[in-house]
Amino acid sequence: MKAFILALLVAVGLPAIAFAQGSAAPQPGQPGPRPGTIVVQPGQPLPPNVRRLQPGDTPLAVPAKGGAQAPELLQPAKPEKFPHGDRVESKLDSKGIPASKPLALLFWAFAAATIGGALFVVTRRNLIAAVMGMVGSFLGISAIYMMLYAHFLSVVQMLVYAGAIMVLFVFVVMILNRPEDEPVAPTGRIGGVIGGLAIAYLVGRLVMILIKVRPPTGEAANLAPGPTSLGHDWGSVKAVGTDLFGPGLFPFEAISILLLVGVGGAIAIARPLHEDEPASTSGADNV
Amino acid sequence: MEYANLKFAGLPLLAWIPLLPLLGAFINLTIGRWFSRGTVHTVAIAAVAASCGLSLYLVFGPLWTAFKAGNGGVGIYQQVYTWIEVGGLKVDLAFRLDTLSAVMILIITFVGTLIHIYSTGYMAHDPRFGAFFGYLNLFTGAMLILVLGSNMLVMFIGWEGVGLCSFLLIGFWYEREDYATAGRKAFVVNRIGDFCFLLGMFLLFWAAKTLDFRELSMANSATVGPVLVERFWGGERLAAAAGIFLFIGACGKSAQLPLFVWLPDAMAGPTPVSALIHAATMVTAGVYMVCRLSFLYSASTTALIVVSTVGLLTALAAAFMAFAQTDLKKVLAYSTVSQLGFMFVAAGTGNWTAAIFHVGTHAFFKACLFLGAGSVMHGMEHGGSQTPGDIRTMGGLRKHMPITRATFMVSCLAIAGIFPFSGFFSKDEILAGAFLVHPPGWPIWYGKILWFGLLIAALGTAFYMWRLYFLVFSGEERSEEAKHAHESPPSMWAPLVILATLATIAGFIGMPHLEGIHLPSWSHGLASWLAPSTAPTWYGPEGGGAIMGHGSDGTILGLMAVALAIGVIGIGGAWMLYGKGPSRSVDKLVEGPLAGAYEASKHKLWFDEIYEASIVKPFRTIATGLFEIVDRWLIDTVAVNGTAYVIGIFGRISRWFQNGQVQRYLAGLVVGAALVFFLASRKAEPTFSYEVDGDELVLKADAGAGLLTKTSKLKWDLNGDGKADQDASGAFYTEPEIRVRIGDVGARVILMLEDPVTRENKQVSRTIELPGAY
Amino acid sequence: MSDILFKVGYGHFLVLAAVLFLIGMGGVLVRRNALIILMSVELMLNAANMTLLTFARMWGDLSAHTFALIVIAVAAAEAAVGLAIVVAVFRGRRNVDVDKLTALRH
Repeated sequence: MKAFILALLVAVGLPAIAFAQGSAAPQPGQPGPRPGTIVVQPGQPLPPNVRRLQPGDTPLAVPAKGGAQAPELLQPAKPEKFPHGDRVESKLDSKGIPASKPLALLFWAFAAATIGGALFVVTRRNLIAAVMGMVGSFLGISAIYMMLYAHFLSVVQMLVYAGAIMVLFVFVVMILNRPEDEPVAPTGRIGGVIGGLAIAYLVGRLVMILIKVRPPTGEAANLAPGPTSLGHDWGSVKAVGTDLFGPGLFPFEAISILLLVGVGGAIAIARPLHEDEPASTSGADNV
Repeated sequence: MEYANLKFAGLPLLAWIPLLPLLGAFINLTIGRWFSRGTVHTVAIAAVAASCGLSLYLVFGPLWTAFKAGNGGVGIYQQVYTWIEVGGLKVDLAFRLDTLSAVMILIITFVGTLIHIYSTGYMAHDPRFGAFFGYLNLFTGAMLILVLGSNMLVMFIGWEGVGLCSFLLIGFWYEREDYATAGRKAFVVNRIGDFCFLLGMFLLFWAAKTLDFRELSMANSATVGPVLVERFWGGERLAAAAGIFLFIGACGKSAQLPLFVWLPDAMAGPTPVSALIHAATMVTAGVYMVCRLSFLYSASTTALIVVSTVGLLTALAAAFMAFAQTDLKKVLAYSTVSQLGFMFVAAGTGNWTAAIFHVGTHAFFKACLFLGAGSVMHGMEHGGSQTPGDIRTMGGLRKHMPITRATFMVSCLAIAGIFPFSGFFSKDEILAGAFLVHPPGWPIWYGKILWFGLLIAALGTAFYMWRLYFLVFSGEERSEEAKHAHESPPSMWAPLVILATLATIAGFIGMPHLEGIHLPSWSHGLASWLAPSTAPTWYGPEGGGAIMGHGSDGTILGLMAVALAIGVIGIGGAWMLYGKGPSRSVDKLVEGPLAGAYEASKHKLWFDEIYEASIVKPFRTIATGLFEIVDRWLIDTVAVNGTAYVIGIFGRISRWFQNGQVQRYLAGLVVGAALVFFLASRKAEPTFSYEVDGDELVLKADAGAGLLTKTSKLKWDLNGDGKADQDASGAFYTEPEIRVRIGDVGARVILMLEDPVTRENKQVSRTIELPGAY
Repeated sequence: MSDILFKVGYGHFLVLAAVLFLIGMGGVLVRRNALIILMSVELMLNAANMTLLTFARMWGDLSAHTFALIVIAVAAAEAAVGLAIVVAVFRGRRNVDVDKLTALRH
């Protein structure tokens, strides 16, 4: 339990410190064009009131203080010009993002909270501890969403997951109120070794591949996300809502039916089998 | 097809001859068990009788016309369909009715019909009458296929078919252990012969590239070349090897030394079966085959000597063994073996006419004898006898079974060779043929030895046949059962009368040629009838010559007189010793000077014991060893249990996965995903290949694993300086496959790629090695 | 090394999502408590969501946000039904150990 509290402190504290440090910087999303301005397609001449992101600007991070610190440009081993018109050579580094130390620290902090919480979930015997680890993980994920300019989704994550679903879990845990007898399934030693090796290999392999992923269109992707065609901020409630009730209307309606069916099904499944048997007592008998 | 109009229901008429009995067999064997006795009898007899009628029509209608036109050897050829056609092997399911097969089908269908009729009486109380008549029909059909087949493979169908029916019918009363064993013995011994038959067939096909009898007989013509006289093993002609192999097959089927042992045991079957299969028809298949292949045997003196010698030895040995037998049918069985020996001597001396002649007359009188024996046993059974075949309990039956006795006596006269019964003429033909034979390369005295040996065998025949007759019918009844025996029903004695009549008169179609006395042409009709279908002359590279020698009238008449005298002496001896039943003098002889011979005869020269010790026992030992090693250990332990064990291991492994836990399945999924990643990353390296096309070099980029797609960005560095090259218009080479002049290419070519995921640049370089002077 | 530490790019987010996913998968694999398994599934869904949002940012395509929202809704429904099943199972059997839920096996 102490470890859990410590982890929670780290998970919440570190981001808080990082936010406090970076509070002077503009909020993510603000460097983009103001609402009402026109959308710039890559390759078009820029209107006078729009400024192109400079090297040193970042879609993820505010410029470092003093702004003049030019990032070290990593040149490819063979700095050939590819003759393809769809690729605009970026002055950014090979990963497409210039360095920003505070933001990087923030990322690592939230990542640590996410991973730590997730590990807490899968290792704890105590169900409440697992649920709390889950909440911590969700907080970290929410912050990561924010770094990805997904403000609305970040808030929804916080509200729906950390707020609603986890409360549901806590209720069920309280109904069950029985610690696991044996937390880990008996897969046997060979199976454990093979499975562990497989997961370890997958982790290593995925890290090796994904860490090198670069944005596909160079400069355009490194622009701070501009407003949508209707002029809403990228990732804002309005922007997501416009998309949701436009092209995504059918999935939205379908998901509403799914939720309805889910609620109905949950009630149908969880109600007592016999009308005379009080459901509330069944879990408590065993305490 | 000159005989295209000879068709019925789309099938050639010739095919209907064997097909009718086969249809009868099919009906009786499948749905016959629900039929009444009358229906089964009607179906079976109608099938054979229709076949007989059809045979009569074909022989005396179209074939007669062809014979008159000089085409008796070609006869009627009708093809049902092409059976096998593989490479050079083309086998038609085709039938040929020539003068030789005509004689055989007439005998088979006619005697067969009579025996079917007889069986209705004999098997009147057997519960499995449907199966019995089905088997009989099946046998008739198979025998007709054997005889009518136009090539060796079709003949082999019938050959195996009659063997199968023989097995089924010998063991017809399989409830008795020894009967079933007898059936098995017949089958196994026949298989030995059949194997050699196959070998001979293969040899002929290998040499002549055909199996058709007609084409084979042309194998010595100028067009095909002298195939049969090619030097083969041991400097002998090919015909010798093929002929001896085929003759071993005939030995099995026709019960010759050393494969005769099954026939006496085959008497376990119902008596009509013994009459039809083991006396009249099936056992003559070997003789028929040798005559059918007369062109082959007349091409090799060695083969002829083998055939005639084996025939002689068989005739003598079987006659000797018949002396001491006490079972009615056993005596007849040995007499059959002996008479078959006569036929093979005839065939071995190139006396094809005599061989077939004796086949015919023997079919009549031996069928009559067997059916008569069946009638006697039938009567003894009704008298209450438990061992109806034991001749020691008989005697005096002439009073109780007059018709049977009369026909039996006629047949005994015929088989003993008494003028004017049929056996006299056919046996005399054989004896005279042996006396006069002298093909090129044949020892001049050998025919005389054959003749003398056959005379002794004929003496023995007359003696033991009349011993049998006297023991059964003469004297006083030696048991209560014999006193109560009575005559058989008309369905049984009517065929006897017909057969006895034929046994009396059939000889007149085969009388010898005499220069001094002019006999009508029908009296030697058989010889002229058979002549087109058989090879009368010896074939040699230095020219042919008649196998048969020529005798003067005096010689022929003298030989006839000697043969007749021998028959009379044999009968007389039997009458002296057995005329009033077993006499004291017999007992004295048997216990005194002839004790050893008596024992030898009684135990059939200990053939079964010799086989038991020399073949069966070692074979059984080997089989037991094989059983222990191959079957018990290799198959049972290693193959069967081993398979089960391995499968069990796999089952245990897969049970570990497939245990119904979704988590396990998910674990498998993870491991599989890791494997996919692993394997995909193994061959991720792209490369390129090149080839020279004229003065141009074709460079082809190779995908590796996904790096090269339609949207991949690649460039070529042709001169190996590490920089991408441009073509004449200043553009980079960006296609996955490019053609460049060889002169533009350096010793090193580099392919530059951009990884679509990581956007890394990759380089592949290869040294270009050009063939030739570049 | 400092590049990886201080130059945070899209790859970092994707790797984070992948690690989160694999942790969730590990939880589903080894745990026996149905509740924990459900939570691990939620973790995997969140990892998928994170990947979606990263690519949305990478390609500048906002429709992935809609997709992620729908995934959250599905996850909520799944959690509700799943928990209902857990409660029902617990009521009948007094435990939620998946190894002992063998009624539908074979």
